[in-house]
Amino acid sequence: MREETVKADNHYFRPFTPFNIVAGIIVVIGLLLTVLRFTRGLASVTNLSDYTPWGIWIGFDLLVGVALAAGGFVTSAAVYIFGLKKYHSAVRPAILTGFLGYALVVLALHYDVGRPWRLPYPFFVQQGTTSLLFEVGACVALYLTVLFIEFSPAAMEWLGLKRARNLVVRLTLLLTIFGVVLSTLHQSSLGALFLIAPSKVHPLWYSAYLPVYFFVSSIIAGLSMVIFESSLSHRYFKDKMDPEHLADKDNVALGFGKAAALTLAGYFTIKVIGIAADNNWHYLATGYGAWYLVELLGFVALPCFLYAVGVRDKNLTLIKWTAVLTIVGIIINRFNVSMIAFNYHLPAGERYFPSWMEIGISIFIVTIGLLVFRFIVTRMPIFCAHPEYKNTH
Amino acid sequence: MKKGKSLLRGTGIFGGITILAILILSLRVQGVQQVPDPHAEMRSDLVMIDTMKTFGKLERSPVVFLHGQHTEALAKQNQDCSACHLLDEKNRRSYKFKRIKDTDRQTVMDLYHAGCITCHTETKAAGLKGGPLTCGACHQDNPQVASDRRPMGMDKSLHYRHTKTLEDKCEKCHHVYNEQTKVLEYVKGQEATCRYCHGEVTVENRIDARQAFHQACVGCHQERLAKNQSAGPDMCVRCHDADEQNLIAVVEDIPRMKAGQPDVVFIKRSPDIEPQATPEATPASDEDLLTRVPFNHKAHEEFNDTCRVCHHTNLKACVSCHTLNGDEKGRHVQLEQSMHKRDASQSCVGCHGSQQVQPQCAGCHASINQKFGGDSNPAACQTCHIKSPAPSGDPLLEPDDRTRAALLHESRTRVSETYPADKIPEKVEINTLADQYQPAQMPHRKIVQSLERGIKNSKLAAVFHREAGTLCQACHHNSPVSQKPPKCNSCHGQPFDNRQPVRPGIMAAYHQQCIGCHTRMGLEKPAATDCTVCHAKKTAP
Amino acid sequence: MSISRRKFLGWLGTAGLSVTLGRSAHSATNKHFSGYPDSNGVLFDGTHCIGCRKCEASCNKVNELPAPDRPFDDLAVLEKNRRTHSGTFTVVNRYAVASAPGKPLYRKIQCNHCLEPACASACFVRAFVKTETGAVTYDESVCVGCRYCMIACPFEIPTYEYGEALTPRIRKCTLCHPRIEKGLLPGCVEACPTEALVYGKRDDLIRLARQRIFRFPDRYVDHIYGEHEMGGTSWLYLSGVPFRDLAMREDLGNLPAPSLTKGALSGVAIVAGMWPVLLTGVYAISKRKDKIAETEKSEAVAAAREHADAETKAAVEKALAQAKKEKAKEIELLVKKALEEAAAAQKEAAAKSETEEDA
Repeated sequence: MREETVKADNHYFRPFTPFNIVAGIIVVIGLLLTVLRFTRGLASVTNLSDYTPWGIWIGFDLLVGVALAAGGFVTSAAVYIFGLKKYHSAVRPAILTGFLGYALVVLALHYDVGRPWRLPYPFFVQQGTTSLLFEVGACVALYLTVLFIEFSPAAMEWLGLKRARNLVVRLTLLLTIFGVVLSTLHQSSLGALFLIAPSKVHPLWYSAYLPVYFFVSSIIAGLSMVIFESSLSHRYFKDKMDPEHLADKDNVALGFGKAAALTLAGYFTIKVIGIAADNNWHYLATGYGAWYLVELLGFVALPCFLYAVGVRDKNLTLIKWTAVLTIVGIIINRFNVSMIAFNYHLPAGERYFPSWMEIGISIFIVTIGLLVFRFIVTRMPIFCAHPEYKNTH
Repeated sequence: MKKGKSLLRGTGIFGGITILAILILSLRVQGVQQVPDPHAEMRSDLVMIDTMKTFGKLERSPVVFLHGQHTEALAKQNQDCSACHLLDEKNRRSYKFKRIKDTDRQTVMDLYHAGCITCHTETKAAGLKGGPLTCGACHQDNPQVASDRRPMGMDKSLHYRHTKTLEDKCEKCHHVYNEQTKVLEYVKGQEATCRYCHGEVTVENRIDARQAFHQACVGCHQERLAKNQSAGPDMCVRCHDADEQNLIAVVEDIPRMKAGQPDVVFIKRSPDIEPQATPEATPASDEDLLTRVPFNHKAHEEFNDTCRVCHHTNLKACVSCHTLNGDEKGRHVQLEQSMHKRDASQSCVGCHGSQQVQPQCAGCHASINQKFGGDSNPAACQTCHIKSPAPSGDPLLEPDDRTRAALLHESRTRVSETYPADKIPEKVEINTLADQYQPAQMPHRKIVQSLERGIKNSKLAAVFHREAGTLCQACHHNSPVSQKPPKCNSCHGQPFDNRQPVRPGIMAAYHQQCIGCHTRMGLEKPAATDCTVCHAKKTAP
Repeated sequence: MSISRRKFLGWLGTAGLSVTLGRSAHSATNKHFSGYPDSNGVLFDGTHCIGCRKCEASCNKVNELPAPDRPFDDLAVLEKNRRTHSGTFTVVNRYAVASAPGKPLYRKIQCNHCLEPACASACFVRAFVKTETGAVTYDESVCVGCRYCMIACPFEIPTYEYGEALTPRIRKCTLCHPRIEKGLLPGCVEACPTEALVYGKRDDLIRLARQRIFRFPDRYVDHIYGEHEMGGTSWLYLSGVPFRDLAMREDLGNLPAPSLTKGALSGVAIVAGMWPVLLTGVYAISKRKDKIAETEKSEAVAAAREHADAETKAAVEKALAQAKKEKAKEIELLVKKALEEAAAAQKEAAAKSETEEDA
């Protein structure tokens, strides 16, 4: 039935496109590294040390992954709670990105932790409730479930499970609110993870406001990610989009750009308040201070300004590129907190720099994400409404 | 197009503000972090001219002024001090630049600017190497020179050389201020250290020590040099450079200063009682535990370079300021503290204690409780507080007070060696770590003799090591002096005994004692970590 | 979406509770935990340490750790500063100190066994436990290997078996917990030849340390490191030079690690409790806004229709009036015309009669 028609006009099915070849190579290398990781241990793959127990698998795969997957809760909250129905077409792609993002985060954790099969231990064997990592774990696990349920209608529509689909759709509001609560908790807790190490994180980045910073910046990341992702999808999956989606696209970019500009302005303000609260001004004149100013001015203040200009001038190209700049800024921020400003007191020789194999695994995981994303959007009604469920949000 | 332009402009403004902010911040901080350059040239004649400080906050950095360089340059042009330093109404050289007094800000500043720049220009015009003419060359923000100027002082050798050259004409230097006539005059018998009156800063018409010394010393030296008489230096480096200071001749066997100081005298306990006046009041009764202390003033003169070591504010007896109960004159330091305070360099105990850091003393003394002047034994007090013999009852036969003090002082026992060698065990076998090592053979007698050698020439040690066994007391501590003290393991047993938390176990007692003493005495061998030097490794049976 | 509000709030309440329950009770109290009474500790006196590495050797032996690359009596390893790793629970480092030139100083590094350990607070499976004997123990049977304890520890003590593929453990000093329970001394303490390591009740050790500082004021810095650092540790340190010269951090503060995350943890309750209420409110507002918009729309349509009706009527009436007016005008015109005609006829008749009279 429909499945066949989708496949029939799927021109990505050609196996040897440049993308497929590169992705194939990455996957093969990734699998080899996976074998290495699970036979020879972290020492053979990573540059982690007793001083630096968390590298890019946490700094990028976990912290950045979770922040960039915030699009799901931001978009669904905007549409279902704040009633901004005009952005409805952005919900499904955002939820799918979020779901994949979280799934990949969990996948990446399997590489990083020592005994991945024990990941459920904190919930079922012994609960370390004083740990912020417990909170992160619990919320991520629950939120992954929520995202899965939120995403499931698309799959059910594809599979033709009408009754189940309708049942899940009725839960939308509940799931959305639950999703926002969980996201607030774990997005902020990821920042709060570092609260316990004031002596290791450079004072410019360490702040009692870390949880707030992480939460607010995750909203920014989510908004920017929706803009960025929609512009990419528009380029590569245009044929999968229905007219409604295509018509809404610019609306989404403008609306989300405006929201991002406002949130960035707020984020900038609380960052400055944080510096003032701890009276850390004098650090700004050091090398780390210069780098902090680069982050704050170049990747917070500048995108804020550019988003505002872009929205005022209805300049979609500018908004798109600003989204990229903002995402880079979020990545830099997470890297700063977890790696660059972490262990700032150690001599250069003891500092961490990832090995190519760690980077390889991270690229491998991102590639898997892209492949699965492509698999899903070319089959399931993500960029379009399923003909049978038109006009039934 | 238009849209693009406005965007460009906006970004430009934003970027500009950003760069400006970073610049301002970094500049501000450059101002804050002014650290002296580690590669700076060291000069003893460096004067940082910051005179304008007296008129408020400095507008520019202090001027880097090398005095020696200027003196030399002026000498080449046949100019002397008068080129810069004027004579005041009393014909004394002012050590301010081209003025007698700091009048007001503008005048002084103009004086410097005009004076320096004119001279520099003229020198250059004359074809010589003139000084800088730009602001920053004098007001240097990051001076490449630093001062290693060493303070100079008059020790008793230098003082003796001066009295000899000046044929005991004390009035050449010493003076006192007459409150009535308001003039400086010389009063015989009231000579004292310059610093008693001339302090760190000028107070009213009393100039500070630095000015006073330069005026008096350099002035006199130059006067004499002009008359071709033998004279001291008039160049900065001769007095203030470390190497030059070592070249100053030191006279051995200096005759005592003639200030009427006593030889041996009882430490006065009250400023009112003149000891010699009432001989019958002075003999201490048996009940008086704190008997008077006979003090060998003469010997202390020999050991110290200046009177200031003890007489830190005047030449009077200690008790004139440090009264029994403390007084404002003595900053409420009581007489007892003035003698016993361990962390005061002027007190008896403080000064004697500072002798104990010498390697030959430190081995034992550093392990002795540092409170209570190194000795908590009440008997130790009697080393200084000597009981006098009961008076004979016949006033005519009684010696005067100073003689009594001298006799009493002479009566002290001096011990510079311990028991005879054959009474000291030669070797002591220590068998504590029998499970891992063979017994250690401690060269007991050798150690005692080495300690003896260390104190042989010390009169201080001879007096305070009261008995033959005192020397043994550092190792054989906490038990009475005895030729056969208890063995270590009669007190030290298992470690970490709750009932004796302070007392180390036997193994640690040995190691702490031996290694601690060796370290403090600076003995490099055997190394503390070279276990087998003391106890050979036990070979498997 | 037809969920009754009651049902919805019920769900949220359950969700919120499940997150908040089970939080450690002391995360928000005014009680200060100053260690278990009679718990043990070790006092390290830097002025007695000679850098012989006997403690390292003994630690290696009693914990059955792998043999080191270079033997323990090779003191050349002191040339470089080392740290603990998975095969070494303790190291002694040598420090050249500017204030005491030519006099090497030593410091032993191992787990400080905090009174309120950061590692225990950070562990999400409670693998670390501060026992009543004073030791902070580790249970490898539950450890997931997330290494958050290593992030959390201010003293950089826990180490990890990076070389193990599937069964890596966190490794750190146990204060010889098993030996203590047997009544033995910790391995390092037992081996120390100079009693630079003093084992005892922590309270006694603090008294002893104070006594030493009092008796030898020139020998010691007037501070017991570990008495208050990070809320207090079971290991205590005395030194003759400032502790920073021995690479010990003096900027750790006196707050126990759990207090650092207290605020963030209490935020959970706020978020779980407040967010649903606020969000439901926002939802209600946006929904009501939609509803109002709907009503307004229909009203506007009705009003428009009504308005249109009235306008037509008015137009018709106006047209009628116009027609009437026009008709009247027409009649008037006709009458006028008739009158004019009549007058003309009369005039003609008169003229005719005149001519007739003239003729």
